[in-house]
Amino acid sequence: MNSAVFEIGKFARLTLLWLCIIFGAVWGVSWSIGVLLPAVILSQSGESGRFWAQLLQALVPVVAVALFVPLNTCYMVLAERRLLALFTVRKGPNRVGPDGAFQTVADALKLLLKEEITPRGADLLMYTLAPVIFFAPSIIGVMPLLAAVSGNHPLFTPVNLPTGVFYILAVSSIPVVGVVMGGWASNNKYSLVGALRSAAQAISYEIPLLLSIITVCLLAGTLDFVQIADNQRGSLLNWNILGGGALTHLGIGSPWWSIAAALLLAACCILLFALYVICACAEVNRTPFDLPEAESELVSGFNTEYSGIKFAIFFLAEYTNLFIVSTFAAVMFLGGGHAPFPGLEDACISGLRGLLAAWFGACTPFQLGWLVNSLVNPATVSQVFWIIVKSYALVWFASLIRATLPRLRIDQLMDYSWKRLVPLALILLIAVTFLKELV
Amino acid sequence: MLGMVGRAAEGFYQVCRGLWTVFKHSGRPPTTKEFPDVMPELPGAFRGRLALAVNPETGEHLCISCRQCERVCPDKCIDITAHKSPQTGKLELIDFKIDHGLCMFCGLCTEVCPTSCIINTSDFEMSEYSRGALIYDLKRLTLSQEESAYYFAKKDLPPPKPKAKPAPKPEAAGDAGESLAQQPSDVSQQPGPKAEE
Ligand code: SF4
Ligand code: SF4
Repeated sequence: MNSAVFEIGKFARLTLLWLCIIFGAVWGVSWSIGVLLPAVILSQSGESGRFWAQLLQALVPVVAVALFVPLNTCYMVLAERRLLALFTVRKGPNRVGPDGAFQTVADALKLLLKEEITPRGADLLMYTLAPVIFFAPSIIGVMPLLAAVSGNHPLFTPVNLPTGVFYILAVSSIPVVGVVMGGWASNNKYSLVGALRSAAQAISYEIPLLLSIITVCLLAGTLDFVQIADNQRGSLLNWNILGGGALTHLGIGSPWWSIAAALLLAACCILLFALYVICACAEVNRTPFDLPEAESELVSGFNTEYSGIKFAIFFLAEYTNLFIVSTFAAVMFLGGGHAPFPGLEDACISGLRGLLAAWFGACTPFQLGWLVNSLVNPATVSQVFWIIVKSYALVWFASLIRATLPRLRIDQLMDYSWKRLVPLALILLIAVTFLKELV
Repeated sequence: MLGMVGRAAEGFYQVCRGLWTVFKHSGRPPTTKEFPDVMPELPGAFRGRLALAVNPETGEHLCISCRQCERVCPDKCIDITAHKSPQTGKLELIDFKIDHGLCMFCGLCTEVCPTSCIINTSDFEMSEYSRGALIYDLKRLTLSQEESAYYFAKKDLPPPKPKAKPAPKPEAAGDAGESLAQQPSDVSQQPGPKAEE
């Protein structure tokens, strides 16, 4: 028992270390490009530097994402390996760095240094383009989410779109083109089978996924991520997973049909969330829907022939996609950056303030607050904290699913989507439309 | 329709149960053996590299060149060179070769040996760069006195009797017939579970 607790503690330590690295780096770079450098430029050259300052600020989201994606992938792969080890009663990677913290960095370096092999008969142009096409959408696609996850921070507001949901869904259907290209261009039967499976799977599961997202948008009444997140302000009951505030409208005097409708709506939304999780797993080719890569049947599916940097890009994109769907779920269903129990959070923060004030006796709370406020935006910190917690919780849940469920057969996969999920999604869409009016 | 809903609920329940079962495993201590850092605790009966023991007390070689091990070996990987000593008329061991590349560690040779001379040690790290290096000769096979004592204790073998007869050479064992009569049953008797090393 003791050593099991020890292992979980090690995992927690690793997670903290990596989250500090990831978000410290992202914050540091964003802050220096978005706040420090423009301020310096403006003070040095006055009005003439305004253009450069604004250009730098406009670059912040791009740089932040470009920095975040590889770091985050390093952490996610490591976390997944450690978690799978925990679930299968093993230890997992623990050699490179403290507790194996830098195992994935070493792996990445190894991949980058490896020879790149192009199979004979491969279509070189397509073969090279495939990883790029697979990877690009995950960078482009994450942009509109940035505003929502940073609590509409002024630096990230420009990338917000009034139709952000629509945009992400459109972009997220591109990677399958890359998969088919890669599978076809590598001149390998297994790759081709994997690619075709992937195409079939992506098309089948996109429909219930879209329907479940559309239903949530219907509930929220907007396609704007920031607004969807803001609509869930309040507490756990306001989250879309529990009907987007339907339960909070209930009072003692509400008519019975209103109560029934609200409860039904909450049930529908939980089902919607389950639907979303299933379809998202299929969209990002995770077990139990990892047929495109099915190691035991297809070697490695569409990326069998890839090595070196190209394989690393596939790998990067896969984990980034997983993170995106998790963040997407956190924003759409789990209240975005809002705390489940805001009262509790406020109490904790004021308690922490008091503690800090007691520790830094010489430094009054006011000065400390000023120092902190000049570096970060307190509202953003709380939002980002909750987004991080929710997103990574979902990522870990995906690891749990991977450790548990066996792979589906291809015909079961198709059956499941077309005969079960699509009808369910349609029923839920209609049900939510009516129930929303009744509440 | 209702049946389908029922089956869906059942499936959902089963999936959740599976997830929970797997999740519970994270609370169990890992079974990983970190081999190069932590050597595994092998039982006394572990069949590792073969070796020839010496008498732990006197240090004399236990092999009496009876060639039983050579005969029983299914792989024929034991090669014994011995001759009759002109002075005593006893068998005298000249060389003893075991090809560990051929050996399958069945342990038959250790069971027939009348003097518990040939034994399986707990050593299993014996990778080499060539096949030739896997052929061990008498010098590499023979254990030191301390090692022999260690394995005799670990395997729970009866301590060998000192060679009583006027044996001028240590290898020329005088009481071959005697040991032949009593030893095999002792040797084949399995040593109990061990927790050593
Ligand atoms: S262990 Fe078996 S194969 Fe190896 S030398 Fe002894 S009898 Fe032959
Ligand atoms: S059986 Fe024992 S005593 Fe006989 S030759 Fe083999 S090792 Fe020597």
